[in-house]
Amino acid sequence: MILKKYFITYFVFPQFISPHRHLHPRATHARRRRTRRARERRRRSPGMDIISQLQEQVNAVASIAFNTFGTLQRDAPPVQLSPNYPDPPANPNGVEDAATLAEQPKLLSAELVKAAKQFDALVAALPLTEGGEEAQLKRIAELQTENDAIGQELQKQLEAAEKELRQVQELFGQAVDNCLNLKKPD
Amino acid sequence: MATATYPPPPPYYKLYKEYSQDPDSAPAPPPPIEGPYVLYGASYTTDDVLPGLEEQGVRQLYPKGTNIDFRKELRSLNRELQLHLLELADVLIERPSQYARRVEDISLIFKNLHHLLNSLRPHQARATLIHILELQIQRRKQAVEDIKRRREEAQRLVKEALGTLNGQ
Repeated sequence: MILKKYFITYFVFPQFISPHRHLHPRATHARRRRTRRARERRRRSPGMDIISQLQEQVNAVASIAFNTFGTLQRDAPPVQLSPNYPDPPANPNGVEDAATLAEQPKLLSAELVKAAKQFDALVAALPLTEGGEEAQLKRIAELQTENDAIGQELQKQLEAAEKELRQVQELFGQAVDNCLNLKKPD
Repeated sequence: MATATYPPPPPYYKLYKEYSQDPDSAPAPPPPIEGPYVLYGASYTTDDVLPGLEEQGVRQLYPKGTNIDFRKELRSLNRELQLHLLELADVLIERPSQYARRVEDISLIFKNLHHLLNSLRPHQARATLIHILELQIQRRKQAVEDIKRRREEAQRLVKEALGTLNGQ
């Protein structure tokens, strides 16, 4: 007897794999169910830049989505295909009760929506300046000229300071020599 | 037990015979490569540019153009993604054999999302460069101020010392 759920899970999930190379390698194992503890272990490092966080969030949405669909399909009770066939046998183990079965879609979809909202929040936090590439390049050129000017001034000051240091050291040497009467005064 | 000898060194070591006396008599190192090159059978390019979506055979869902409003496009792609996920759920309930098209659409959206994020990277690089330049300018200004201050103080001390010496 072909049960709908087996037909679907065999054909859908091995292919719900985006071959895009930017997805996290763990995302390619579509049937892996991640427990909550494993999810917390793989925490994003706090100092990551905003674009990497956005990329991680996209991957998180993807993994939540296929985990959601996979879990729901795996745990779905069989469906009666036609009135000619008898009713499917009742599930012997009462573990997957009607209560848990009704809870699961709500929890999983809430998780999905939360991840999507977080993506939106991250997008809002993008520090994008208006003006695009040309404005940035112009600003870089300005900063470079200012940097060069300041660099030259710094160099000038440094040379003057070193010259004064040498003068003071020479005078000090002369004064000390005079004090100690090591050299006959000219 | 046969032992193999080490392979001989490459024969152009002889060209470097006079290197310690005259460094210019030996050949110069080869210049850096430009353009595409082949390494271990695979061809690479020295031009580091993010390849466009069309070149990878993926349909581009967000509008082309020089100035793209990234936030708007990212948000609209996110909405589309959610819609497609809902559609997939509906299809699986009613007409489960037609999942393939929906799954393809979802993966297309993900590819577009990632490509958009990757095209933000050059912008980020330029912004980082601007930030570093600003920090450097600030540090240099600070250093100039410090040197000026110390020089003035040193001159003051020298004048003072001269004054005390003359007063003697």
